[in-house]
Amino acid sequence: MSLASQNRVRAPWMACLAWGRRSRAGGLQTVWLLAPAGLFLGVFYLWPLLDLLRLSVAGDAGLSFYARVFAVPLYWDALVRTFGIAASVAALCALFGYPLALRIHGARGAWRVFLLSAVVLPYFISVLIRTYAWMVLLGRNGPINKLLLALGLIEAPLALNFNRVAVLISISAVLLPLMVLTILGNLSRLDPLVDRAATASGAGPLAAFWRVLFPQTLPGLLAGVLLVFVSALGFFITPALLGGPTDQMFAMHIAQQADFLASGGFLQALATVLLAVTLLVVAVAGRFLGFEFIWGGQRVVRHAVGTGTLRSPGPWAVLSSVCGRWLADGLGWPLLRLLGRVPAPAARSVGWALAGFALLTLVAPMVISAIVSFNNAAYMSFPPRAYSLRWYERFFADSEWVSSLLTSVTVGVLSCGMSLALGTSAAVALVRSTLRGKSAWMLFLVSPLIVPGVVLGLSLYSLFLRLDWVGSVAGLAAAHAMGGLPLVLVIVAAGLQTVDVRQEQAAAVHGASPWRVFMWVTLPAIRPSLAAAALFAFLHSFDDLVLSLFLSGAHRVTLPLRLWGNVNYKLDPLPAVVATLEVALVVLGLFLVRSAWFTRSKPPGRPAEAAAG
Amino acid sequence: MNASTSSATPARWRQRLAPALTVLAMAMGSGTGALAQSKEVVIQDPGGTYGENLRRLVYDPFTKETGIKVLTVQEARGGPRIKAQADAKRVEWDFAFIFDQEVHQLDAYLADIDYKKLSPEAQKTVASLPKEAVRPKGVALQVIGVVLAYNKQAFAGGKGPRTWADFWNVKDYPGKRCVPGWSRFVFEAALLADGVTPDKLYPVDFDRALRKIAEIKPHVVKWWQTNSQATQLLLDGEASACVSYSGPIARLKKEDPETPLELTWDQAFTYYDFFSIPKGAPHQDAALKLLSYRLDAQRAARLVEATSVALPSPRVYAAADPKLRDYWTNSPEVEKKAIKWNADFWGAKAPDGTTNEEYAQQKLNQLLAR
Repeated sequence: MSLASQNRVRAPWMACLAWGRRSRAGGLQTVWLLAPAGLFLGVFYLWPLLDLLRLSVAGDAGLSFYARVFAVPLYWDALVRTFGIAASVAALCALFGYPLALRIHGARGAWRVFLLSAVVLPYFISVLIRTYAWMVLLGRNGPINKLLLALGLIEAPLALNFNRVAVLISISAVLLPLMVLTILGNLSRLDPLVDRAATASGAGPLAAFWRVLFPQTLPGLLAGVLLVFVSALGFFITPALLGGPTDQMFAMHIAQQADFLASGGFLQALATVLLAVTLLVVAVAGRFLGFEFIWGGQRVVRHAVGTGTLRSPGPWAVLSSVCGRWLADGLGWPLLRLLGRVPAPAARSVGWALAGFALLTLVAPMVISAIVSFNNAAYMSFPPRAYSLRWYERFFADSEWVSSLLTSVTVGVLSCGMSLALGTSAAVALVRSTLRGKSAWMLFLVSPLIVPGVVLGLSLYSLFLRLDWVGSVAGLAAAHAMGGLPLVLVIVAAGLQTVDVRQEQAAAVHGASPWRVFMWVTLPAIRPSLAAAALFAFLHSFDDLVLSLFLSGAHRVTLPLRLWGNVNYKLDPLPAVVATLEVALVVLGLFLVRSAWFTRSKPPGRPAEAAAG
Repeated sequence: MNASTSSATPARWRQRLAPALTVLAMAMGSGTGALAQSKEVVIQDPGGTYGENLRRLVYDPFTKETGIKVLTVQEARGGPRIKAQADAKRVEWDFAFIFDQEVHQLDAYLADIDYKKLSPEAQKTVASLPKEAVRPKGVALQVIGVVLAYNKQAFAGGKGPRTWADFWNVKDYPGKRCVPGWSRFVFEAALLADGVTPDKLYPVDFDRALRKIAEIKPHVVKWWQTNSQATQLLLDGEASACVSYSGPIARLKKEDPETPLELTWDQAFTYYDFFSIPKGAPHQDAALKLLSYRLDAQRAARLVEATSVALPSPRVYAAADPKLRDYWTNSPEVEKKAIKWNADFWGAKAPDGTTNEEYAQQKLNQLLAR
């Protein structure tokens, strides 16, 4: 049988896998791998958001709801305040996260593993639990006040809770890992030789840092600042629990309006405004920085050769380059020179202090939760007067808690599967095809990550109601996969770029079908990326509260949702038990990923095993 | 490979895919439709200790006796969900508790309760309920109390504030306060503190109440949003006195007689929570069975003894252990001292076309944000 006839009888979906070809036709076929992800986001993401927009102007309301949003000073002030809080949080995260990222970059061995775990672990513990831990930490009788009193530094407990400081600390602590991981990504892409060259040329350690290393990490730092800023815009549970009356954030108004019967339309208008503002920030940032910041400052999609990258600079580009040069010459370089003259020991100790404090804010909530979870009392108290396993017994004895745990795991696994399938095929399409407008596609596919959860949940609720998916496990998993897909896409696309296309071509030339090429050549090579992507996608779903709040029904309740009900109506140590179990679960997950990482060098023998990885 | 097999491939694929697609569709749709026929009833649940007691004393025995599974949905405020479900013609809940002020707004979405279908025992309990607690589309299964609660240790001689005027008087009753971040109750407490008599409370004078709230604002440590926070703030010493629900305080006093927390029924607010069956609820008969079960006077008495959230029936009150009904919101002492909170006012249309509750909430938010 000739090769040509083989090609003809191949089912269309098999032909889709022919990414190894550089021909126009091959590229076109590969492009079809984008279709599932595009279709999926079209249904679960674009359609509901358009529907939200429609509802906000439906009937004879016209733009009257928008008029109310902007006419009542309350909402406009909340928007301005939200920007202020988000900016402060981003600045705090940069100040404390950058030194920590540097320390991690320089660390080796077990110390590095410890530091990395400290950053990664809290990233995946429910925001609710972390907020709860901060409530204990900052409480009037909490550990911080107790310590200060014991040291004789204060006479009466300080009011640490329920003010702007508490809001800033807790949101920053929640988002700090995002900042650290983004900067770390940038640091790991740098050429260490440049640093050595600077030292060899006579630069002191500080000059080498401020004038050589720091400018190179600016993209990562800015990316981190923007990511944290955008994420902070949508917060509403943390400020509601830890904030004072003057800390009302915009998303809190959306949550409050969702409780009123007659708020239809106005509610959607509020959500649309938050969405528009978030997208505006991203658009402006992308204009100056490039949209790569959304996926961590890394250029995932290499421009295909000869697809017109040489276009004449538009007025915007000229303006930004002129402004950039002016800022660098007038402000940046003098400042860096000045900083380079700071005595080295002083600078180093400041750096260590900031990193140490950052580490403390990451680890302390987990430690406090673990201690509280062994409390014997019916109410939260710190430190516990007596220790026992009472609340652990309670957790495992209560069939509802255990079934919630199982529900969360089921939803997480399903969502992880969907994210992996859709995200990996989209990654293959974006990396291996000769598609035009790859950046636009990437931007679209990654964008669900930046849309505030409350907006997504609200828009999905009416779609799910109409399709009768409210409360269905698969529906919830699909909603979660909206956030999992971008994570998989980014991680796997990065992994695919390290795979030599010529190996795939070699296999194809020797007669391997595209499917065989994928299973035997590509998959083993990207296995570590897939394992990491799977873990992130799973935990993204396992951790979600906001979408579940909108989309859950009577039949199955996820763990964060049950936790939410619990925290609402009584404060006992059970949430701490859940937090401690979650930490244990994540540690286990990380351990598994690490072992998957180490088995990477095994020969790509059995495809089935590789698929399981 | 020949032409015939290649042309057969898509058909065979379709055949193989068909069951998979069916399974997928069922999985997606299993939220309500697929299971609607089975024996179960879906009820909105308050969660927390109350929810645990409901499960232990009512739902689990009910399932054992009838074979009908009771599924609970935790949601603080059910009105918007009922409306959305009905509008989409996907009613999932069989039983919801509706805020009194929302009963009128939701009228078109609620079914008439067929009281004649209840068990004879339950009908007796219904007959003993106050007239205003039994409506065609809702029956009041709980009397909620909103009270002034305080920590005795914060005041000399343990003498805490007794009235809302005392609550506002931070000179004689020192310490921080905690207050719900809602318009309802808070506006009334402010007016009473300002000298308005209970019979002149309604219609609420919004501006006067807001002026009075501005007075207490610097002394409020937390405008709480969740039920449990008031108790925790009092226990932690963050606040000396709070506007709180009576249930959590009463439960704590029962569990721990040594607790320093105390509440006063003077000028407390009481109101009914109505239980309704949404129109188009999938298991209306099961819902009526559960209602019958819950209205059994003995059983209801055990539940209220455990939760301190009263059912407004003298029969149930009589069936309870006298030692365990001190904190019932329908005890004669409370009925004498407490003020009936006016739900109709808060559900009525406001000057800007929203409800009074929403209108006042926006005003309160504005004041708090300043």
